[in-house]
Amino acid sequence: MKGLNTRVYLWGVLLVVLLIVVPLLFPRYQIALMTEVIIFSLFAVSYNLLLGYAGLLSFGHAMFFGTGAYAVAVILNHFQGIPILLAILAATLVTVVVGFLVGSLLLRHKGAYFALLTLAFNALFFAVATKWYSMTGGDDGLSVWRPDLNIGVTILNMTNVKVFYFFTLIIVGLVILFCWYFTTTAMGKTILLMRENEERMKFLGYNTNISRLILFTFTGALAGCAGAFYALFFQFTSISAISIDMTTTVLLMTFIGGTGSFGGPILGALVFTYLQDFLSDITDRWPIIMGIIFVVMVLYVPGGLSGLIASIRERFGTGNVTGTLETEGDD
Amino acid sequence: MSDIPVFILHGLAYAGLLFLVSSGLTLVFGMMNVLNFAHAAFYMMGAYFSYTVLKLTDNFWLSIIICPILMFAFGILVERFLLRRVHVFGHVHELLLTFGLAYIITELVKWIWGNYPLAVNLGNFLEGQVNILGIIYPVYRIFMMFCAAVIGLIMYLVLYKTRVGIIVRAAVNDNEMVNALGINIPLVFMSVFAAGAALSGFAGVIAGPLLTTYPGMAAEILIDAFVVIVVGGFGSLGGALLASLIIGELQSFGALLIPKLSMALIYMLMAAVLVIKPSGLFGEEQ
Repeated sequence: MKGLNTRVYLWGVLLVVLLIVVPLLFPRYQIALMTEVIIFSLFAVSYNLLLGYAGLLSFGHAMFFGTGAYAVAVILNHFQGIPILLAILAATLVTVVVGFLVGSLLLRHKGAYFALLTLAFNALFFAVATKWYSMTGGDDGLSVWRPDLNIGVTILNMTNVKVFYFFTLIIVGLVILFCWYFTTTAMGKTILLMRENEERMKFLGYNTNISRLILFTFTGALAGCAGAFYALFFQFTSISAISIDMTTTVLLMTFIGGTGSFGGPILGALVFTYLQDFLSDITDRWPIIMGIIFVVMVLYVPGGLSGLIASIRERFGTGNVTGTLETEGDD
Repeated sequence: MSDIPVFILHGLAYAGLLFLVSSGLTLVFGMMNVLNFAHAAFYMMGAYFSYTVLKLTDNFWLSIIICPILMFAFGILVERFLLRRVHVFGHVHELLLTFGLAYIITELVKWIWGNYPLAVNLGNFLEGQVNILGIIYPVYRIFMMFCAAVIGLIMYLVLYKTRVGIIVRAAVNDNEMVNALGINIPLVFMSVFAAGAALSGFAGVIAGPLLTTYPGMAAEILIDAFVVIVVGGFGSLGGALLASLIIGELQSFGALLIPKLSMALIYMLMAAVLVIKPSGLFGEEQ
């Protein structure tokens, strides 16, 4: 185990160095793309806490992402001079409330029924965002201005692409680290065990419904935080942030990366964003290619890229595969 | 207020359509615990196939026969070569597969037929209007209701009066036991899945001329069909029928009385059912 930990830390340090050095060498466009990858990493990690860890397949994760995006835009537009971090925090708190309310209604059901309800609720959120013109701007969307960040010593100009990249890297990076910490806590373990054998957890005295609701609310808040960054990144919030397509995006990222490990969705966000960037240059029909890749992976690579890497490493005897998660439903 | 009978009829026409789509969905779900996200995509394929058949032959009756047959064949292929393969991975993968399939079909439709609405011309007696009890009403909507009623009746007769129906209903209850009794359950499932696809395709054919044919039509009816299943209860045909009627009328009168909130009414109904009777009107308590 000790050898494994050192290796993980080494990779971690290497990753951090890369994330800090690389943007200084690359043009603006690449920096923007990397910022997007970081934001979507958080979104995908939050989604995987539901799908991979708790075994809950949701088709409505975009409702939290979109709520966060709209909340940050509305807050920044209505309260002039509010600090950027406070706006993000407030937007996240809004999604906590939304996540709790939606979760307490939806979590009465499991499996396919839950999946169906999440899709229906996402459609409801989409309808509200489209119709509530005075709040959301309807089809026109909302513009957001990124306020500067006062860190005491100096004032950081957030409109600068590099500054915003590092701001996103630090804040979102910390949130992702917190998610990783969450999976190692007793609560995180409870979620895993609940997926494996809920009956037994109940016998042991755990209130599985409360645990599930806490997890659902937590992942909703994370998605809301990612959504807030997404709105700030584009300096614009539109109905696409809350649409089913956004759910599809996060689902594809998570699944392509692999639901069996914590890092899988991050890899998925990276691969998906660059693949999309690459394919959309070649053809307007890139969603078909994405869809085919997804279906082929569902059929032949159910563990995703990270599962593929793990099985290759296992076959060649290098590395130590630990605690693989399966996403089997409890039917 | 003299419009009320017209709106009741409008509601009935949409209810018929919803029933055609959701009955297959609910049967497949009850049997194999597979919620088919691609089901509404089959409906859309039916509508687009019909558009092409009409363009080539200008014969609506031909299209109404050919398209469901095509969808039946397509359903067999999907079940045999895609769904059955992922069955061993558990139902999360089945859901993901049908979701991915729906996504691909939608994108393909946009590619082949374009990302804009298409108008379907019938060009025969179905275009006219008729006078029933003093109400002037389009013939086509009456034709839709008639189709839904006939199909519903046939489904009832097949499911409740024939041996095949007994097997299907038993499989909805407990497919392992039926399998143990020597019935070829994979074959039964394939047939029901394909029949559901054909029904959905049929609904698409008759919906095309009325609701315009466009790439968003699948997502739209999918949500409504899901609400039908939630309200009616999983795997229940009677529930699907009643819920289709309620939602059809709710939509029709919602558009008349509170146009701004007509969308929300359906979700409010769903939320109310979830709170009061989570298993749906006709669903079994778990």
